[in-house]
Amino acid sequence: MLRSAAGACALVIACGGGGIGEAAAATGTAHTVVIEAVKYEPETVTVKRGETVAWVNKDPFPHTVTAKGAFDSREIAAGKTWKFTPRKAGEYAYICTLHPTMFGRAYRMRTVT
Amino acid sequence: MNSFKPMKSCAVALATGLLLMTSGVFAQAAPATAGPNDAQIAHIVVTANQVDIDAGKLAESKGSKADVKAFGKMMVTDHTGVNKEATALVEKLKVKPEDNPTSESLKKGGEDNLKNLKALSDGAFDKAYIDHEVAYHQQVIDAMDKTLVPNAKNTELKALLVKVRPAFVAHLDHAKQLQASQGK
Repeated sequence: MLRSAAGACALVIACGGGGIGEAAAATGTAHTVVIEAVKYEPETVTVKRGETVAWVNKDPFPHTVTAKGAFDSREIAAGKTWKFTPRKAGEYAYICTLHPTMFGRAYRMRTVT
Repeated sequence: MNSFKPMKSCAVALATGLLLMTSGVFAQAAPATAGPNDAQIAHIVVTANQVDIDAGKLAESKGSKADVKAFGKMMVTDHTGVNKEATALVEKLKVKPEDNPTSESLKKGGEDNLKNLKALSDGAFDKAYIDHEVAYHQQVIDAMDKTLVPNAKNTELKALLVKVRPAFVAHLDHAKQLQASQGK
């Protein structure tokens, strides 16, 4: 389910490559997702287009925020933050590619207009 | 040890013996009268992580399946990260990790495991490594729940143990998935 959702993300997101949204948006960080204890909190974050989401890794080891075909943080080192600014409405299911058992939960970023 | 499947080969039987030793190792940390102190817990945590780092490094180089190699790499990365945080905490708390029989036995168990794994190759290596990882992580989780967390006096040390526990559970689940897929 997650995989198909991740695939669907590719259809709705205007992704200009790995660099999109990685710098802080002009609007600043509007939402924060904390990665700690091998999970993302909150599980679903709902944002408006153009708002920036920051994923803060508080675990002592790397994680990724990866929606296949849509966006990929690559490794977020311990204590580091990765930011992304969606440009189109849609729902993005994402995973940590380093920790397959994190797949058990449905982590999503929902973008509304 | 409930996760163990019946084992037939001598090599695996040896691995089982080592795991039973490891299981006993953690039991020593919780005698009826007194548990380990914080300095000993810190040493046990660092040793337990290092044991799995060493095994992970071997799996990275000697594993035959890509997913086993990847798992080994993840063990090295994650347990190294946990140890960095644990080391930073004990330095901050000015606690000097104290060697103890549990740490010594963990270290010996790790060395024996490496010796056993080095004698294996291909699928036999993968199976022995993953079987050990399943049992080892289960034992570590049990030790955290029954001995290390209950006995930790310092709140930050206790918090660190609680914080990293889910990572050990994630590793256990992942190892079980690999164990179930062995031979498929």
